[in-house]
Amino acid sequence: MKKSPLIVQHLTKVFPPEKKGGDPFTAINDISFELKAGQILGLLGPNGAGKSTTISMLLGVLSPTKGSIQYFGQDFAKNKSGALQHVTFASTYIKMPWRLTVWENLKVYGTLYDVQGKVFDQRMERFLQFFGVWDQRHKTMNMLSAGQTTRIMLAKAFLPYPKIVLLDEPTASLDPDIAHQVRKFVKMQRQEYGVSILYTSHNMAEVTDVCDEVMFLKKGQIVAIDDPLSLARSVKTTRMRLLVKDGLKRIVKFAKAQNLPVSIDDREAIIKIDEQKIAQFLAKLAEENISYSQIAIDKPTLEDYFLQMSQES
Amino acid sequence: MKLHRIKALFLRHLYPLRRDFDLLSDMLYWPLIDTLLWGITSQWLAETSGEANVALSILMALLMWNIIWRAQSEISRNLIDEIWNNNLVNLFSTPLMVREWLVSVMALSVIKMTFTLTIITTVIVGMWQANLLFFGWWLLPFIAAMVTTGWWIGFISAGIILRFGPKMQTVVWTLPGALLPFSAVFFPLERFPETLQIVSRMVPTTYIFETMRALAAGGAINWQALLFSFGFNFLYLALAIWYFVRSMRYSVKLGLGRFN
Repeated sequence: MKKSPLIVQHLTKVFPPEKKGGDPFTAINDISFELKAGQILGLLGPNGAGKSTTISMLLGVLSPTKGSIQYFGQDFAKNKSGALQHVTFASTYIKMPWRLTVWENLKVYGTLYDVQGKVFDQRMERFLQFFGVWDQRHKTMNMLSAGQTTRIMLAKAFLPYPKIVLLDEPTASLDPDIAHQVRKFVKMQRQEYGVSILYTSHNMAEVTDVCDEVMFLKKGQIVAIDDPLSLARSVKTTRMRLLVKDGLKRIVKFAKAQNLPVSIDDREAIIKIDEQKIAQFLAKLAEENISYSQIAIDKPTLEDYFLQMSQES
Repeated sequence: MKLHRIKALFLRHLYPLRRDFDLLSDMLYWPLIDTLLWGITSQWLAETSGEANVALSILMALLMWNIIWRAQSEISRNLIDEIWNNNLVNLFSTPLMVREWLVSVMALSVIKMTFTLTIITTVIVGMWQANLLFFGWWLLPFIAAMVTTGWWIGFISAGIILRFGPKMQTVVWTLPGALLPFSAVFFPLERFPETLQIVSRMVPTTYIFETMRALAAGGAINWQALLFSFGFNFLYLALAIWYFVRSMRYSVKLGLGRFN
């Protein structure tokens, strides 16, 4: 069996107290996972869950308190430069020097990875054309919009033929059509070059679309790793929407009496209910002579899973 | 150590020169203003005092101080520039090694210093016909000592910024300034109060400026002074690099992302 290019074991990060006498803060608490060859692994979690801390440690810009990171079977702590030759990243929240043009910035990064000359020129033209920012290449970075900057960062990340790419919310500042293009690009890179990708995003539909597996972080710990659909299916509560012409108040009263969360949207009653209890609930409604004209049942999504996990204490 | 990564950092810091007046003013404008100001002042002092070597001493001191300033500024300013540009995480999440960064900023400082030096030397020689070659080959060890001093000041400033954050960025400008009076740049060491002379004798540049003044006055080279200067310089450079590397490790412990 092929060994995973990234193996993380018992990774822990404890930050020292900010003030004397304060408590140390455990940002990451004993997490272990693998990123398999050619896999796109989603890294999800509410704010403060430890996603950025994990990515920082994987990039070597934050040292772990305990645990190990292995890239391509080698200890990252002992071979940082060698590993980072094949590991790149792009983040919506990190910028590039604003006084340099797009082309100059990419040239600097290309040279850092020894991608120079014609190879650099051809690769950059291909990427910048694909992302629709070819015409911006001679502009300084401060002249670009947030969306254009994000696309340049992506070009930077995929420039040196990486084996692993860490993408931190790569579509956060993009219009839907460009975000679609980015997802297409990411999938294409995986398909063509077998790149492994760690992907964070707050767009759950995107994660479901792109990721093979999702790892859910909460308070510095991994609470679940599974494929997006299985995680969504693990949510028992569905949303049942009943369109009611008459008797909306009675339905709300009835649902509340059954201890079911209910909300109203125009003429619709939206009831959160376990899938298995739907039939029983509808039967009881009939017994009470409460009628509805339309019914829709929304299957749980990854977003429901995210909300459920975020709300659980 | 890979040459292409050092080249990348050269590109990173040379490209902005095409369009950044801030950087050009550091390299050209202020040194030229200093040269004009001190050139005229030294000429006036030489004429009123009747001591011709006063002008040469002051102009050489100015030239040498510019070497220290440029050498230190390239190191600490390059680091602060990465912080201002939110680029520290970008840079150190590549294969770039800390020692490659160190070598590249040291080399960049020599390149930019040579540029500044060429311009102000041309002005000094052109306007006041100062015979800067009076010192002959001794100029080379003098310049080397100044560059080394600039490097260790730069690494200490950069280390302080890495450890305590951008709130301490003022050290880029204040630390070399603090050394200026103790280096006996424009006046002899003996003019200093005795207690402060003890501090001055720990500063490597003091020996160089004293030697230059002695030579200008027709004296001989003081080998012991030169030895002290280089001894102190290498010791301080080693300590400064150690402090910088330690500060970098400390910073990585807290995360370079804290500078964003």
